[in-house]
Amino acid sequence: MNAADPLLTVRGLSVFFRAGLDVVQATSGVSFAIQPGERLGIVGESGCGKTVTGLALLGLLPRASSRVTGSAMFEGQDLISLSPGQLRRVRGRKISMIFQEPMSALDPVFTIGSQIGETIRTHFGVDRGAARRRAIDALASVGIPSPERVHDSYPHQLSGGMRQRAMIAIALVCEPRLLIADEPTTALDVTIQAQIIDLLMDLSARTGTALLFISHDLGVIAETCTRMITMYAGEVVEDAPVDAALVRPRHPYTSGLLRSLPRLSPRGAALPSIAGRVPSLRDMPAGCRFAARCHHALPDCDKAQTLSEVEAGHFVRCWRHDVLELPGALTDLERVA
Amino acid sequence: MTDAIVSVEDLRIQFPTQNGRETVKAVDGVSFSVQPGETFGIIGESGSGKSTLGRAVVCLQKPTEGRVLHHGTDPNSLPGADLRRRRREYQIIFQDPNAALNPRMTILRSVREPLDIIGTAPRVERERIALGMLDLVGLPAEFAARYPHELSGGQKQRVNIARVLTVRPKLIVCDEVVAALDVSIRAGILNLFADLQREFGLTYLFITHDLAVVSHVSSRIAVMYLGCFMELGPPEALLRRPLHPYTQALLSAEPIPLPSSMRTGQRIILTGEIPSPTNPPSGCRFRTRCRSAQDVCAAEIPTWREIEPGHFAACHFAGSATGTRS
Repeated sequence: MNAADPLLTVRGLSVFFRAGLDVVQATSGVSFAIQPGERLGIVGESGCGKTVTGLALLGLLPRASSRVTGSAMFEGQDLISLSPGQLRRVRGRKISMIFQEPMSALDPVFTIGSQIGETIRTHFGVDRGAARRRAIDALASVGIPSPERVHDSYPHQLSGGMRQRAMIAIALVCEPRLLIADEPTTALDVTIQAQIIDLLMDLSARTGTALLFISHDLGVIAETCTRMITMYAGEVVEDAPVDAALVRPRHPYTSGLLRSLPRLSPRGAALPSIAGRVPSLRDMPAGCRFAARCHHALPDCDKAQTLSEVEAGHFVRCWRHDVLELPGALTDLERVA
Repeated sequence: MTDAIVSVEDLRIQFPTQNGRETVKAVDGVSFSVQPGETFGIIGESGSGKSTLGRAVVCLQKPTEGRVLHHGTDPNSLPGADLRRRRREYQIIFQDPNAALNPRMTILRSVREPLDIIGTAPRVERERIALGMLDLVGLPAEFAARYPHELSGGQKQRVNIARVLTVRPKLIVCDEVVAALDVSIRAGILNLFADLQREFGLTYLFITHDLAVVSHVSSRIAVMYLGCFMELGPPEALLRRPLHPYTQALLSAEPIPLPSSMRTGQRIILTGEIPSPTNPPSGCRFRTRCRSAQDVCAAEIPTWREIEPGHFAACHFAGSATGTRS
């Protein structure tokens, strides 16, 4: 991370949920920063806390059953301590979010146009006619053919790819500084995914909107982001420039994720898999949370691990980082070349 | 070929739309055969008809036209009892490991259920077989008494595999079996499929949208688009020298986790979306999204040709300069 003023600085973000009489901790001390216009990826598997982190930043977690600690400084304000009213002025205007399943994120009983118009009129107080013109422009800018027709359509009348474009149009209509994209292409076919990735990259380059791209798909992160954070069991375990993380990951979990991809193994050969499963939120080990599944674990791994900078801009939560030589996303041939 | 475990001959499957006025051509003239012990991969996007095709192979879906042959005989022509016996040998595993398990049954009961339905073996024996299969898929005996909600997605998919194995199938249709699983879990399940194939001499029909998965497991891959095969060939040839522009686009759309400096080639971004299967385009059905499309593509349906030994494609230009540029 360089010293220029980051757009967003997250420090020690922890999310707790009430579960019956218990309280479980979903994420623990998540810290990272995003520079203006930067594209940052968060990778991790189901339950690692990547989505919860995105929701916590925008105050979208249920207030009655969750608690968020830590800070998230954005343009001089701490998002975590803002009142619901203050947050509403940020949400959709300065920071927007898009989700995996556009069908459940869009309201089925309102037209696409009225859902974009709602955002425009909330933040800019323009009249309906102006909102309509602006909404149609927004739909056109995300590559929707015949935007007038789509403006007056209901979500169920559109295909999955078109719905995702409409959601992106809603998210970007106020030209936010930051777009949080939570698995935005996971529900889409690969050729449509390529279109949406292309669109997001183009919009981010054109408007200077920073991107927080949450995905389980390392390929998607590699193609879209400049830096990537790996999360495991609610913690950040690695934070590095994408190329460095792919070529020479420093955390055994990042390396394990990359090595389990089928493209790296000869056809029919056994794939390196990560045995075991993520520890339960109710029963987190005190030390390294990955130790039970790690090939390189030693007795000392049960001590608490800190996220430390091992090279400029490359942070790892593993005390053995300097003795481990971990393979990354390159095949043996590619490594030699 | 008569020794094929499954052969599909000009298969067509159509459904009426909700208002009954139109016909969805889910599978529209597909022919192929699968040899024993082979893993035949089918890749396609949503709406390509790949799942309908898979269901037809295990007789969950009756053909509208054409035939599915199991070892040379048409199971749909068999009397009920014979069809039921035949079905044991041709099994299917689905994408969502949750939906396939009854939440109110213990794992052991779920795995035992197929044997209970067949009802020939005594109960003790059925239990023994079920426990043996659980062990085989890597689930220790303590899982037997648990319920599905106590298991992770990967473990549940292992249960579904164990259950299918109890009836000693010869062929298993694997319909997006790893799509719902996390990357690290996925590798373990794919390894399990490979181990079981070696142990039992299983044949797989592996249906997926995931290019990396299908090319890792398959001995031959068919590329499906809008109810038809576009290309069929061994994975090495299909990946290195894709003959059909649709395959070329699929390959180039796949996001690859490589540093930007090592990524080669211009990405082909297809415009538009898959057309409606009620009214597929005339001629070549891919022509509306194809960057090499010419007039002939709208006028004539491209014939299914063997361009190289074992490598087929349905494209007017496959094998010529226009068709293979990538």
